[in-house]
Amino acid sequence: MKVRLLYFLFFTPICLFSQVTFVKDTIQLQGDSVVVTATRSERKLSNVTVPMTIINSRSIQQIGALRLTDILREQPGLTMTSGFGAGVQLQGLNPDYTIILINGEPLVGRTAGVLDLNRIALGNIKKIEIVKGPSSSLYGSEAMAGVINIITDATTKIPLQSSLRYGTYHTVDVGLNNSLAVKSIFYQGYYNYYSTDGYSIRPSTASRVTTPIQRLASNQQFKYNVSNNTNVLVGLRFTHEQIKNEISVSNGGTIIQSNGEEKNTDYNLSSSVNHRFSNSLKTSFRSYITQYNAVQNLLTISGLPYTDLLDHLFNRLENQTDWVVNKNLTTIVGGGAVMEGVKSSRYDSEKIRKTNTNQYVFNQWEWTPNSQLILIGGIRFDHNQTYASAWSPKASMLYKLNKQNSIRLSIGQGFKAPDFRQLYLDFTNAAAGSYSVFGTAQAQKVIGQLNTLGQIGTLYNNFYQLKALQPEYATGTHVTWEFVPNTKSFFSFQLFRNDIRNLIEVQQVGAYITGAQIFSYLNIGRAFTTGFEFEAKHQISKHFSISTAYQYLETGDKDQIAQIKSGTVYTRDVNGLSRKLNISEYVGLPNNSKHKAQLKFNYSNQNGWFGNIRALYRSKWAVNNTNGNEVYDAGDSFAKEYIALHLAVGKEYVKGFGFQFGCDNMLNYIDALNLPNLSGRTFFTTLKYQLPQKHKL
Amino acid sequence: MRQKLTPFLLLLTLSSILISCTKNETASVIPITAITVKNLAADTVLGINAITGMPYSAGKYTFYSLERNEVVLNTDSASTKWDLAFAGTKILTNGGTSGTGLGGAFIYTGLFDDIKTIATDSVFKTDNAPASYAITYGSGKGWYVYDQLTSLITPLAGRVLVIRTASGKYAKLEIINYYKGGVTLPVTASDSEKLSKQRYFTFRYSFQPNGSKTF
Repeated sequence: MKVRLLYFLFFTPICLFSQVTFVKDTIQLQGDSVVVTATRSERKLSNVTVPMTIINSRSIQQIGALRLTDILREQPGLTMTSGFGAGVQLQGLNPDYTIILINGEPLVGRTAGVLDLNRIALGNIKKIEIVKGPSSSLYGSEAMAGVINIITDATTKIPLQSSLRYGTYHTVDVGLNNSLAVKSIFYQGYYNYYSTDGYSIRPSTASRVTTPIQRLASNQQFKYNVSNNTNVLVGLRFTHEQIKNEISVSNGGTIIQSNGEEKNTDYNLSSSVNHRFSNSLKTSFRSYITQYNAVQNLLTISGLPYTDLLDHLFNRLENQTDWVVNKNLTTIVGGGAVMEGVKSSRYDSEKIRKTNTNQYVFNQWEWTPNSQLILIGGIRFDHNQTYASAWSPKASMLYKLNKQNSIRLSIGQGFKAPDFRQLYLDFTNAAAGSYSVFGTAQAQKVIGQLNTLGQIGTLYNNFYQLKALQPEYATGTHVTWEFVPNTKSFFSFQLFRNDIRNLIEVQQVGAYITGAQIFSYLNIGRAFTTGFEFEAKHQISKHFSISTAYQYLETGDKDQIAQIKSGTVYTRDVNGLSRKLNISEYVGLPNNSKHKAQLKFNYSNQNGWFGNIRALYRSKWAVNNTNGNEVYDAGDSFAKEYIALHLAVGKEYVKGFGFQFGCDNMLNYIDALNLPNLSGRTFFTTLKYQLPQKHKL
Repeated sequence: MRQKLTPFLLLLTLSSILISCTKNETASVIPITAITVKNLAADTVLGINAITGMPYSAGKYTFYSLERNEVVLNTDSASTKWDLAFAGTKILTNGGTSGTGLGGAFIYTGLFDDIKTIATDSVFKTDNAPASYAITYGSGKGWYVYDQLTSLITPLAGRVLVIRTASGKYAKLEIINYYKGGVTLPVTASDSEKLSKQRYFTFRYSFQPNGSKTF
């Protein structure tokens, strides 16, 4: 009923959206766009020294992407993961290791390290910038694999846009953008309502692969140009989602049905004052407050209630000053302080917020000795209250051999701080064998107390090795060759390698008298991801363009490789008899595909018609260590390779209405177990409207 | 030349093997061969309790004599006729709290064929119910893993149960499979099939009747 009311309310006032910017080169050769994420300052993409991808609002709209997941899954080098929401894996590194920023400020609220990208609606986004490779020298923790920065803009020219979309599974999306520009004050507001019934593989069952969800999002931005040299920016973002849970848990063959609701609320308040002292000196002060609150209330069929709470609060104050020393040399220097805290029902008390403070400074120098060469060096120091400090250096260069060829080289170290779960978890799973997991900050104390109570049966050697966790580190090297033979073609080839050490892993540290296991976290793992990426784009004719990309990826756990080589890892032969595992059978880290490829065709003409068809291929990946030897090898279970084919066509109007029609997953590929986020074939239509009149900026 | 030489070399190798085998035989008298036991039912699931929803079984062990390679009647449970008793993932040895024999065991990590002799410093554990068992049970703790996601039980590769029998002799044993027919069910099998076809042991073992620790 509620849904219908909203539907009605939003439908009546003329619906629509769409940036009516007709870019002349539909190929979007990216050459002249201005980016901010690579250096924390505005640079032409062609002068950026690190590997970067830009997704502009036009490509977001033309494929009909609603949530951040929809657009990231089509980017080379990125893979979507499922489990604890939709996360993004960057060049083989798990979702924990990529920082997600909105206008430079980090989003919080990760479950098991995963930030659910479905939380982020795309309706008001100007562009998305992706930096590949460790970027902790500028962004600190989590920027180990890379950075995804979502950029919105307060100074849009369009006074009103709205859109209404309806699709399979009663998926409804309503978006409204409005903006004001009065003298030196700019305002942009964005409102979004999204709901879906979810979908089920077996229509007769209540259990859904994707659960019914309702989401509300809004984003308000103000910009006030105090003078030519000073401006103030304020942004307020809010999202709320309500998820119906009908969970079936199979316990020794018994199905336990639970019903309930999950409510996730997320707000961010950011403000900044930016001042330019002269053409060579500017500074900005930024403050940021964000809170993520997730509550899950379940009622099992036996009447047992279950509540899970997570509340993450994050405050940050920061200053950054940019100084152009001379025409060849610029520097940025910055520093800040973070206060954050988490409350969770999985800690010893859900009423007490566990806190951490962090202070940091960073400095970066950019030297342009001549028109062909740019050299950048930077370093950041993060000091933390609850875990060891971290240094993050990075060096990168761009060498333009000639007009067609350029080489980028970057080497950096990134880190990821231990998260609150790894420090404070105090969780005993009564439903599954009563095992316990204790975060390292209190493991020794808690287990020691249990020991004096006579509840501990055994303590392993690694219990005595438990100490303050250190950050996880990665050293990343990227070499990119870019070849632009003419204005219609673009090629790039990139080699990458990331070496990760100090990986935090769950280890059994002892056992209760009952035999139930006790786990904690230790810095023990070493891993690597390496491979190459190839991208090509070509404007075939005035209206047609084609683009393709391919990624080859190798991953591995270095300790497991050593064990396999020493002959202490076993598997079974065809007769079921044990034998030593050969290193050639090792497949590396789970959830990683060796091959990923994509092929996209684009059409657009001067009348505003557009169409695209995109094929995305992913080769098989290991999902489950079925033979129990603790390494992923050819004898384990894999998710099958697949192709997802998506199509969208539509028309952008210069005046008034626009529309779009699309079909996602045309081949109807379904793998409910391993790809719960890929629903079967779905259709959608979108109606868009925008006021033809523009602000004069 | 090479072709002519090959059969000759082969003959030479064969004869030397034959000769060395004969020598070994005279030393250990009886050759130890591995015996494979298939589909040994071990307290299989009879159905699902309609009230509790939990699977139930008869709750009886299957007793086995490694020495005679046969199932021992339950009426002989208090004797030294059996060496191992199976019920689900629990395996008892005939000693300690479980029986009147000299039985014990430990779990060796490595390959079945690589145990030529049981090391002299090996420690045999005995059953001490309910606190501990010579053959530890529980997922990942002894000879198998249980996957909560798929509800399947997989015997760990590279685990050998080194057993002291009821009469104090030695055997080595490798569990190959836990499902009927000796093949683990596919992940996609129904829950009821996963229940009804589990608890069927396929294993191979070598028993040394002369009481030595050499196989």
